[in-house]
Amino acid sequence: MPLYAVGLMGMTRRLQHYDNPAWQPWLMVAAVGAVVIMAGIACQAIQLVVSVRDRRQLRDTTGNPWAGRTLEWFTPSPPPAWNFTVLPVVGRFARRTPAKGTPDYKAIEVPNNSPIGFITAFCAVVTGFALIWHIWWMAGLGLLGAFVALLAFAFRRQEEIEVPAVEIARFDRAHPAEVTP
Amino acid sequence: MNVAVALSDVRLDVAASEAGPAPKRVVVAYGFWIFLLSDIVMFATLFAAYAVLARATDGGPSGVQLFSQTSVAIETACLLASSYTCGLMSLAVKQRGRLGTYFGAFVTFALGLAFLALELREFADMIVRGAGPQRSAFLSAFFTLVGCHGLHVTAGLVWLAVMMVQVVLRGFHPTVQRRLACFSLFWHALDIVWVWLFTVVYLMGVRA
Repeated sequence: MPLYAVGLMGMTRRLQHYDNPAWQPWLMVAAVGAVVIMAGIACQAIQLVVSVRDRRQLRDTTGNPWAGRTLEWFTPSPPPAWNFTVLPVVGRFARRTPAKGTPDYKAIEVPNNSPIGFITAFCAVVTGFALIWHIWWMAGLGLLGAFVALLAFAFRRQEEIEVPAVEIARFDRAHPAEVTP
Repeated sequence: MNVAVALSDVRLDVAASEAGPAPKRVVVAYGFWIFLLSDIVMFATLFAAYAVLARATDGGPSGVQLFSQTSVAIETACLLASSYTCGLMSLAVKQRGRLGTYFGAFVTFALGLAFLALELREFADMIVRGAGPQRSAFLSAFFTLVGCHGLHVTAGLVWLAVMMVQVVLRGFHPTVQRRLACFSLFWHALDIVWVWLFTVVYLMGVRA
């Protein structure tokens, strides 16, 4: 924020030196802010190092280490492609399983994996690059590539795969629901 | 799509979550509406830019000198009629009538193509007369706004052609039906954008 103030006072970016004493207090505040940001970056680095070093003790097996009460905590971690094995019941707080006993597992339809998103994104990058530098043949090639990829996607035979109930039940037993009231 | 959640803690036995997910037809159309709204937001910004720059002609030609009302009237008629035939096609799809679908699609395509041809002739004519997009801020805004709509129409024509190939190959498969429903939403949205465009660019342009 102090840099906005000096900006309004006429200071440009990337000065080698300055001789306007009115900027001094603002720039000192900005320097303190830079130190705070540096501390933040250091914390991030420390967190990464500690997380990798102590990964065995810190590993979470429950999927909900902080006993969160909202829906995103009620999938195993990492979540499977179908997110929830059975429909969670939501009252005042979410509960992972609807009731006691074995849940009634049903087959779940999930979208098929497809590389088309990656391919079209790549073609879009090529097109954007070509348009910026006025390389018209490359822009045409990028658009054509994206179009062909989308065409292939539009004519795909199988859109969804169905995960059988047996597989879902097996997964659910391997990642048991935590029992917190 | 298997997660539907009821947020009420009364009568959990008949909660909406028990009804299961919405049918795919509804989910797909909802997603497509969101895309259309984002597209309309883009057109809104282009309209705003045009409205600001409409008088910035830099001593060059203005709308009064450039726009041919007959040509624009025919373009508008083509597009509105194509929306009607697109509606006829949707009805034929609902009744799974192949012939009606092909006929509706063909007329829609032909009218869309006629619209595009007229628009491109208008653009070429303007550029020949030295009123290209680089002439003034007004013309930059004009070509961006009208050209963006024209690009949408082009994409719509390609989409329609691909859909007809899919109807030939796969018949009225639910996927094909959903896509045709999305196409018709897209086509009608383009028509609505054109109505604004016609009003803001051409009607208000020749009055100035």
